[in-house]
Amino acid sequence: MSGHDFHPLVKQLLDGDITLADLPAELRAEGAEALRLLAAVDRTDVSMPAVTWRTMAKLERRRRRFLPWLLAPALAIAAALVIWLRPATPPSSAPLVTVRFVLVAPDARQVSLAGTFNQWDAQATPLVRIGATGVWTATLTLPVGQHQYAFVVDAVRWVPDPGAPAVDDGFGRRNSVLTL
Amino acid sequence: MGPGSQAGDGEIVRAVLAGDRERYAQLVERYRDRYARYATRMLGSVDAAEDAVQDAFVRAFDQLAQCKDPDKFVGWFFLILRNRCFAERRRNRTSASLDAAEDVAAADRTDGGAETAERRRALQLALLELTPDQREVFVLKHVEGLSYGEIAERLSTSVPSLKMRMHRAYDKLREQLRDHA
Repeated sequence: MSGHDFHPLVKQLLDGDITLADLPAELRAEGAEALRLLAAVDRTDVSMPAVTWRTMAKLERRRRRFLPWLLAPALAIAAALVIWLRPATPPSSAPLVTVRFVLVAPDARQVSLAGTFNQWDAQATPLVRIGATGVWTATLTLPVGQHQYAFVVDAVRWVPDPGAPAVDDGFGRRNSVLTL
Repeated sequence: MGPGSQAGDGEIVRAVLAGDRERYAQLVERYRDRYARYATRMLGSVDAAEDAVQDAFVRAFDQLAQCKDPDKFVGWFFLILRNRCFAERRRNRTSASLDAAEDVAAADRTDGGAETAERRRALQLALLELTPDQREVFVLKHVEGLSYGEIAERLSTSVPSLKMRMHRAYDKLREQLRDHA
């Protein structure tokens, strides 16, 4: 036992087995010091409301990233067939098109856009709310071609674009399709 | 189950395993705050604790099929979070910083006065100097208010072993805090 160790009876006091009055008089001061230590314990509740949407967004993002890997063998075969059937053409960089995405969601606290153009990252492309109208918009510049996407409302609810055609994502949900 | 009553953990776990992934949000919502304080005191920072709780929920989702008793999801989840907190402290042994204790004591400045805040800050820093085992038993008993018996059951260990850890923790805290007594 070092000079800084509490007396075994004081440890019983800290454990709640005895009270300060049960200590012999010569240990009362040490007991009071020990109780001051416990009085400094911070029992304030901690709340983490963001954990729900952060967890669900991470699981959803990962699921959508996984999907191309599931489809990869089929896509590879299809791509090989296309290359084999068509004469080779020199690669050219696709022209870009500016697109405005709009969603009416008056009750939403936040809306973002996740799609093939941002690796289904639900945090990468937030929409901006226009005043108190409940209309959310984002303007992106995307290459010509086909893109799939969905709106992410309050980081947990994936909503297809009501103004665009949609396809099944293979897991029972719908992705919107934008062809430029 | 009657109308309006909440689904049990087991029912939700089974639904998630059957493919209804979105119901997992109910479990996260139900338990995210229950161990938020434990993780915050173990790691010394609300931000680090939030990351740990989120990671633990993601890991629990990944390993959900291994939850042997879905009705006891919360006890199983606690062990995942505990492992995550221990691993985090091992990774960041040297980062038991003033910032972390500031984080934990910040709430006191408004309602508890500077002296209370200073004592809490000093205790939080001293807690971070304990071994994870010692810190954990202190947090579970004196922050979460569990008895030695309840802690022993949760951690699958014995009461005498917990008391030994705790009594060493008391001595170490006293030494750390002797300038603040």
